[in-house]
Amino acid sequence: MAAVSVHQFAQCITCHAWSPDHTMVALCPNNNEVHIYRYSLDKWEKIHVLQKHDQIVSGIDWSSMSNRIVTVSHDRNSYVWNQEASEWVPTLVILRLNRAALCVQWSPKENKFAVGSGAKTVCICYYEQENNWWVSKLIRKKHNSSVTGVAWHPNNILLATTSTDGKCRVFSTFIKGVDPRGSGTSVSSDSKFGEQIVQLDLSFSWAFGVKWSPSGNTLAYVGHNSMIYFVDDVGPSPLAQNVAIRDLPLRDVLFVSERVVIGVGFDCNPMVFAADETGIWSFVRFLDERKISSSTSKYGSQFSEAFGKLYGQTKQGFWNDAIEPSRPRGGVHENCINCILPLKKAGDAIVKRFSTSGLDGKVVIWDLENQTDISSYL
Amino acid sequence: MANTLRPYLTCIRNTLEAALCLQNFPCQEVERHNKPEVELKTSPELLLNPVLICRNEAERCLIETSINSLRISIKVKQADELENILTKKFLRFLSMRAEAFQVLRRKPVQGYDISFLITNYHCEDMQKNKLIDFIVQFMEDIDKEISELKLSVNTRGRLVATEFLKQFI
Repeated sequence: MAAVSVHQFAQCITCHAWSPDHTMVALCPNNNEVHIYRYSLDKWEKIHVLQKHDQIVSGIDWSSMSNRIVTVSHDRNSYVWNQEASEWVPTLVILRLNRAALCVQWSPKENKFAVGSGAKTVCICYYEQENNWWVSKLIRKKHNSSVTGVAWHPNNILLATTSTDGKCRVFSTFIKGVDPRGSGTSVSSDSKFGEQIVQLDLSFSWAFGVKWSPSGNTLAYVGHNSMIYFVDDVGPSPLAQNVAIRDLPLRDVLFVSERVVIGVGFDCNPMVFAADETGIWSFVRFLDERKISSSTSKYGSQFSEAFGKLYGQTKQGFWNDAIEPSRPRGGVHENCINCILPLKKAGDAIVKRFSTSGLDGKVVIWDLENQTDISSYL
Repeated sequence: MANTLRPYLTCIRNTLEAALCLQNFPCQEVERHNKPEVELKTSPELLLNPVLICRNEAERCLIETSINSLRISIKVKQADELENILTKKFLRFLSMRAEAFQVLRRKPVQGYDISFLITNYHCEDMQKNKLIDFIVQFMEDIDKEISELKLSVNTRGRLVATEFLKQFI
C-alpha cells in the first residue's frame, strides 16, 4: 500500500494546503471557513478556524518561506493571513473581480500570487509597501471562459493557466518594481506584463490542473476528455504529447520528478505517468492497488487511443447480459480527488511523499519509497 | 426481463458512469450565483454533447451533461391509451413529491415523461454508484409498475362489469 496515512477531516474537502514544516494543514470543509489542524500526540487537533469569507473557499495556498496563507473564495474576495502571536490576521486583497475566484498560487519567490477567476481573468497580486496592502493587476480579455488553474514557472515570471474553453496559455507577469530586471529567461525578459507567450489548443473539452516540472522545462495539464497533455519547449514552437486514459477524467496533476507525473481525478485513484529515455510519456499504473488485474497493462501515447477504445468495449461486455450493480471506484478515496500537493523539504529535487484530498473528506498521504517499479523512473 | 432491456440499461449505466464527473462551478454570467449550467445554458462551452439512447421508437433516454450538473430524461413505453394515462398519472404523482427523491426534477423536459437533475452537491453527499443504481433500478421498475397497474385496472374493470351486469340476469 502506497498510502501511509489517511485521515477523515470533514464530510467533504474542497482544497488543502500544508504549513512549511508539514505539521499543520489548512483545509476548507466545503463551506466558507478554513480550518487549520495540527498534528500532535498522534492525533489531529483543530487549532484555528479562519472565518472571513462568506461563500465557499475555492483555493488555499500556504507560502513556505514567509509562512503566509492566501485564500480565495466564490464571494470574489481574497485574504492574505499573517500569523501574529497565536492569531491569524487577515488582510483584504483588492482583486477587482466581479465573479468568483477559483484558484490561487504563490509565486516561487512569494512576492506575488496569481488568482484565476470565473470572470475570465487572472489577477496577479503583489504587495505595495507605501499603501500597506496587496494590489492586483489583471490579465484581461485573453481567456474565453473561467480560469480553472494557475501554475508558476520556477523563474517567477511565467504563469501557465488552464481554462474551461479547453486551452492552456502561458503569460509573462513581469511587474516593474517588483521583479528585478533581467530576472526571467530569454523568453520572458523582454516581454511586458500580460503578454501571451503561447496558447496551447490541444483539448476538446475543459482543461484543468496545470503544473510545471521542477526545472520548468515541461508543462502538464489535463482535459476533461480523459486526456493528459505534456508540453516541452514552451515558447514559439512547443512540442506536445497527448496521452489518452481509459478511465474517468483527471482533475489535477503533480510532477514528482522531471519524468514522473501523478494524476488524480474522478477515478478516485492516483495514476502514475512516466517518460522513458526517449521522452515518450505513458501511463504506468494506478498507485492504489486494485482488484482488477487488467489495470496493470501499459499503453503508450501513440496507439493508445484506438487501443483504449477497443479495450473499453470488451470491458463493457456488450454481449454480457447480466446487469451487475456498479462497483464503487477507488480504494482509499471514495469520491473524486480534486487536490494533490507535494510534501517535500526545501532543496529536495524529487518528491517522495505527497498528499491528496477529495470530496470524500479525507486527506491521504502517499509514499513512493517502496514502490520499486516507480522508483526506477524517478 | 426482456432481452433488449438489458443492453439498454447497461448502456445507460455506462453513459451515466462517464457523465457523472461533476464539480462545483460558480456561474460565469451572474455575480455570486451557482446554478446548474445544464438548466441555464448560458455558456455553450460549459455544456457537453447530449447523448440520446433509444431502445425503440417509444422508449428513449436523453442524457445532457454540463460542468456542474447532469439531466437525464426518460420516455417510458406507452403501448395504448390506458398505459398512457397510467404513466402520466403515476409520474405526476412522483414529480409532485420530488423533494423526497432529491434528484427528481419537478417538471419533465419537453417530450419526455420524467427527468432527473443531478448536481455536484448530490455527488458530494451521495455515492456515485448508488445514484446510478437508483436511476437504473427506477427505469427497471417503472415498466413493471405500469404493467402491474394496467393488469389491476383491467381486473377491477372486469369485476365491476360482472357485478354490474349481474342485475340484468
